[in-house]
Amino acid sequence: MIITPKELQNWIDNDLSFTAVDIREDAQIKDCPILGVDHVVAKVKSIPETNNKLVLMCQFGIVTEGIIIENRLLDTFSLLGGIEAWNAFYSDKRDMSRWSRQTILQEVGLEGQKKLMDSNVIIVGMGGLGCPVAQSLIACGIRKLRIIDGDAVELSNLHRQPLYGIEDIGKMKVHTAKKRLQNLSKKALIEPVHSYLDEKNGSDLIKGATVVIDATDNISTRKLIDKLCKRSNTPMIYGALYRYEGQVAILNVNGSVGYSELFPVDSSVADNCSEAGILGMLPGIIGNIQALETVKLILDIKPNLVGKLLLYDGMNHTTQTIKL
Amino acid sequence: MIEVKLKCFSQVKYALGTDEMTFELEDGITCSELETIVRQTTEGKLKDIDLRIAINQEYVKDDTELKDGDEVVLIPPVQGG
Repeated sequence: MIITPKELQNWIDNDLSFTAVDIREDAQIKDCPILGVDHVVAKVKSIPETNNKLVLMCQFGIVTEGIIIENRLLDTFSLLGGIEAWNAFYSDKRDMSRWSRQTILQEVGLEGQKKLMDSNVIIVGMGGLGCPVAQSLIACGIRKLRIIDGDAVELSNLHRQPLYGIEDIGKMKVHTAKKRLQNLSKKALIEPVHSYLDEKNGSDLIKGATVVIDATDNISTRKLIDKLCKRSNTPMIYGALYRYEGQVAILNVNGSVGYSELFPVDSSVADNCSEAGILGMLPGIIGNIQALETVKLILDIKPNLVGKLLLYDGMNHTTQTIKL
Repeated sequence: MIEVKLKCFSQVKYALGTDEMTFELEDGITCSELETIVRQTTEGKLKDIDLRIAINQEYVKDDTELKDGDEVVLIPPVQGG
């Protein structure tokens, strides 16, 4: 069984009887001592017998989960996120154990998780790309998200926009999306804007953004996002689809290439999804690449797609990463 | 003579009906000249579509000379979302 740092704190506050056991090696204990909880230190094979509930603690909560499953231990809990997550919670009361599977990554860590939680992301377009981007970003801990779209849900959207269901047809996308996304995180501050981004509202709507996600389905809005991002020095995560293919790039990062340099000439372009056709998985793939690049950008994880254009072909799974 | 490989995406792929083509070309030929050949091959299917050119995974200017063994991608804008 699993216990989160917050739940463990409740046990302590309510004087519930339990025995906490630190099973780590001496060097780890020395480097990162447990804060604020009485505990014993024991090796895996000599965990004390007790009538109390046992809480096993390791560095990241992975080893202890394995021990409990392997030994079929009853009344024994693994501390989710381990001592790293507990100590962070003890210090600033933020329980980040929910994200323990990503904070264990060296490139993320608890500091990275805090950065994600403090970021302010704006998604323009809550269609095929916007849905997976929003889902993945809220799931990974983005707390402030503004979603902008003037559309209502249509039956033909459902095969590729998994935030919406049959009962949502005719409802505003942004309000329905907010409702579904809040199921993933009650604490997320999701602001729905039922409007299309235009010259008049654009500057205000992207103000304060850490990053703007381009999840639109037309080039004129894409160009407007590019202009606004360039003016405010805000990174833009570009994504676009054509049948079985997609393009992704991170644009406008401290003067890096923008959409207007990527495609400088106005040309007659390929049809949008309703005209050219699209399988629902494609926006899922491309939207998730956009979300991945958003996280990498916020956490400064390299290599990323700053100054590069990714071309993905879902038919034969080939990619090209073009330096811009 | 030089040999270059063309990797095709989006409208270029559908216009040519293949995702990869090899061209044998005269020495000294530029990217834009290859683009013209491709456009002629597709019988107007790429008319009015502005294509950007990359050689060996890097954006290049239209007048860049192609070399033997280059891998070329013609990149069209796409808009679906």
